[in-house]
Amino acid sequence: MVRDAGRLIRHVHSWMSRPLPPPPAALRRGPLRRGAFDTRARSPRLTSLLGAALGVAFLICFVTGLLSHLIQHPPAWFGWPSRPVGLYRVTQGVHVATGLASVPLLGAKLWSVYPRLFSWPPVRDPAHAIERASIAALVAAALFQLISGILNIARWYEPMPFFFTAGHYWSAWLAIGALLAHIGVQLPIIRTALTRPSPEHAPAGALTRRGLLGAVGVAAGLITVATAGQTVAPLAPVSVLAPRRPRTGPQQLPVNKTAGGAGVRDAIFDPAYRLALTGPGRTESLSLADLAALPQHTVVLPISCVEGWSATATWTGVRLRDLIARAGLDPEGAEAYVESLEARGRYRATTVPPPHARDPYTLLALRLGGQPLHPDHGYPARLIAPNRPGVLQTKWVGRITVRRAS
Amino acid sequence: MTTVRRVLIGAGGLVMAYAVIGALTDADLKGGAYVFLVAVLVAHDAVLLPLTLAAGALIGRFVPVRSRTPVRAALLIGLAVTVVATPLVLGRGRVADNPSILPLDYGRGLLEIYAAIGLGTGLAWAVRRIRARPTGSRRRRSGGSRGTSC
Repeated sequence: MVRDAGRLIRHVHSWMSRPLPPPPAALRRGPLRRGAFDTRARSPRLTSLLGAALGVAFLICFVTGLLSHLIQHPPAWFGWPSRPVGLYRVTQGVHVATGLASVPLLGAKLWSVYPRLFSWPPVRDPAHAIERASIAALVAAALFQLISGILNIARWYEPMPFFFTAGHYWSAWLAIGALLAHIGVQLPIIRTALTRPSPEHAPAGALTRRGLLGAVGVAAGLITVATAGQTVAPLAPVSVLAPRRPRTGPQQLPVNKTAGGAGVRDAIFDPAYRLALTGPGRTESLSLADLAALPQHTVVLPISCVEGWSATATWTGVRLRDLIARAGLDPEGAEAYVESLEARGRYRATTVPPPHARDPYTLLALRLGGQPLHPDHGYPARLIAPNRPGVLQTKWVGRITVRRAS
Repeated sequence: MTTVRRVLIGAGGLVMAYAVIGALTDADLKGGAYVFLVAVLVAHDAVLLPLTLAAGALIGRFVPVRSRTPVRAALLIGLAVTVVATPLVLGRGRVADNPSILPLDYGRGLLEIYAAIGLGTGLAWAVRRIRARPTGSRRRRSGGSRGTSC
């Protein structure tokens, strides 16, 4: 059996490395010609340095992105704490900033290996064909990641004929898998390029290796400064390309979905508005006046959007744990299912897991900065919890169902 | 082939397979995502990069050799910023009832960044030329020896 397996592997191996017939030489035209590219400014060392930086950047984006995905779609084994309150603000800010800073890195990396796209013969053997296909997958997935991310923070969805979150998520797995395989294939070249000195061959007037790396670094830094003000408020005055300003919006706070866009304008101003608070075996209807008569608490918490912007605000309202106790459950072991008045929408409801449900900072907020919530911020009542993505901070809350945590 | 390489290639292959199966079974992901995947590859490899190379060739043809390097650096930096800025400048994501989305004049912001890039590379170029001028015992170093230490 073991011998058979060994024979099979040897057989596959020899088939994979069997040379394929070369294509007719007459097809070797244009960029496929020998010497079609001046490669003196390119080198394995340059490519390896850019690749190493890009690898670190993609790893940071992958880990922070996966974290954001798990917080929004938690499997049974996953838990996310409610403290520190600004942790998600940092991880998601880093996700977006790192992705944007990767733009010049990826551009330079692809430029440095572009002549290899036209190597001759196009495929030497089946193994080479598979390797080239995985390179195509890597480049396509990396471009997919950066371009879809840029379009998303600019909220321009027409060029993306798919649901952004799903496309960005699965192409991230494709990129990271292809990246692992690529590092495996190229490891000897990377090792040599990074450990042995390699002379500079850039002709006069071309960017030297150091010059190119410097320019890429300046570009990455410039992009970071120009956009990071969307979450690092002190940078806002110089962040001329920030898609958001932390102080711009109704009640000095940005908004993603407006009351008009969510189609809740009639429901939220209906004098018959009641919050349905459901516990085991009973439901209570609370008017806005009833809610305002309950003990009020004030917290300073950020809204941290998946798009990388964030802003701190002062919220006042009823503690969720007080509502859980009122519904008849011990707040220490309960979770809450919070539903919006929106009739539909991907984020109309969310489950507040036990760490956030029992956290005294988690509020059903009625006021923002001392004033009643603006309709676009979730009037008459919204959820605000520490260390959670903005899409899970349900606005226009109409129903809270409290249950024992499973 | 070393064990490390085998593990990396094997793990990478499995993760890619997970991505393909996950994408194919995700109801939120329709065919458009595959079109986009191929479209960005073609747009980069067959349009953007050839145009960039053509621009580089034009610099080699028309810009005097001693100012070519700063021009190349400035255009590279400018191109990277432009890629990030274009969807913001076009402003197609704006929504009538939500002025907090894309609140700035991004065209103006991009021009300001272009100006900063021009100024910065111009200054760097001037400083280098002053430093590189042979004065007494300090001789100009050859360009070839400078890049090896990075």
